[in-house]
Amino acid sequence: MTAEREDDRIPDTPLFDRKRALRGYRINKMAMSLSNAANREAFKRDEESYLDRFGLSPEEKAAVKSRNWREMVRLGGNVFFILKISAVDPVRLTEIGAHQAGMDHATFLRDRLGKR
Amino acid sequence: MAKLVGGLGTSHVPSIGAALDKGQRDSPEWKPFFDGYIPGQRWVMDQEPDIAVVIFNDHGNAFFLDKVPTFAVGCAEEYRPIDEGWGPRPIPLFKGAVEFSWHFIDKLVENRFDPMICQEIEVDHGIQVPMELFWGRPAEWPVKVVPIFVNVIQYPIPLPSRCYEMGRVLREAIDTYPSDERVVVLGTGGLSHQLQGARAGFLNPQADQAFLDDIAIDPGKLAAMSREEYVDMFGSEGAELMMWLVMRGAMDAQVVVRHKHYFVPASMTGAGMIVLENKISTAMAA
Repeated sequence: MTAEREDDRIPDTPLFDRKRALRGYRINKMAMSLSNAANREAFKRDEESYLDRFGLSPEEKAAVKSRNWREMVRLGGNVFFILKISAVDPVRLTEIGAHQAGMDHATFLRDRLGKR
Repeated sequence: MAKLVGGLGTSHVPSIGAALDKGQRDSPEWKPFFDGYIPGQRWVMDQEPDIAVVIFNDHGNAFFLDKVPTFAVGCAEEYRPIDEGWGPRPIPLFKGAVEFSWHFIDKLVENRFDPMICQEIEVDHGIQVPMELFWGRPAEWPVKVVPIFVNVIQYPIPLPSRCYEMGRVLREAIDTYPSDERVVVLGTGGLSHQLQGARAGFLNPQADQAFLDDIAIDPGKLAAMSREEYVDMFGSEGAELMMWLVMRGAMDAQVVVRHKHYFVPASMTGAGMIVLENKISTAMAA
């Protein structure tokens, strides 16, 4: 499942419009809360109940717990917010990019970012 | 009256700050990027500005989606580095140019801009990184700041032309501010990058280079572009580039490019810098 919608006007580019801002509110609010050190500890201690505190649906919880970035974006997550999950469970931004692009990391670095 | 000494444009990629925090300034990956800023740093040292007006976007740090101001202006005594998830970065807090901020806010409202007014707010890498790129890592910042926050995340984001018009009001505020302070304006963000969707990792060095030319010689063209054109050409987060138009709108029609630098990729971004002076003030100094 891709993060894009049929009415997206720019190919493969999910703009954070009102539909996504509404759809993703809970998931983004949960991620935003990780700007707080005590919340980061609570997330690490018991992720399941932490996600419940923010009323995430089973589908949203599954996406977060499996660190499925593409799915989180499909569910309205915005990378600026969900990136904070990577502060608790370290993942590089380029890995988040590669996952959404559907590429392995090395291919993404080479083909998209021109690294060799 | 206060004097506008120049306009700076720069990327504000968070990895730049992280590279400095990790002592990687002179690593093979980062050295060419940072070295390109040396002329800009020298220019700032020579100009000795007292006030830096910095246009940037908050990246889901000071503002959540519960309240999204299209434009917000800080008028705080100080701005502390915010915790973006990794803890607040160990850099000095920024002192605010409080009087000038309020003067600017007055001018905005008189000119039918109606910004959110912030007396207390923390700031993220959007302002931190540009300040570090031009002023390095001083024990305390030698300039006071005026942060201008632009929403470029949740749609509807403002029109590029609106950013350009806001720059004109900023110039009026500088020209009417009763003080002998020297003001520099920093437009930040971009250049091409995309963090979301299957096109993540999109870069457009050719368009970035053209932007660095056009921001000096043909800003009207950049101001007339639609938001969709920005996203199409520079990527979903490349739309940040419209914030450079606030800086450009504050400058004269005729400018001189003092310095320019482009490096790709910084993390996932085409990174650029420009140093502009008004042509007339350059001629007078000569």
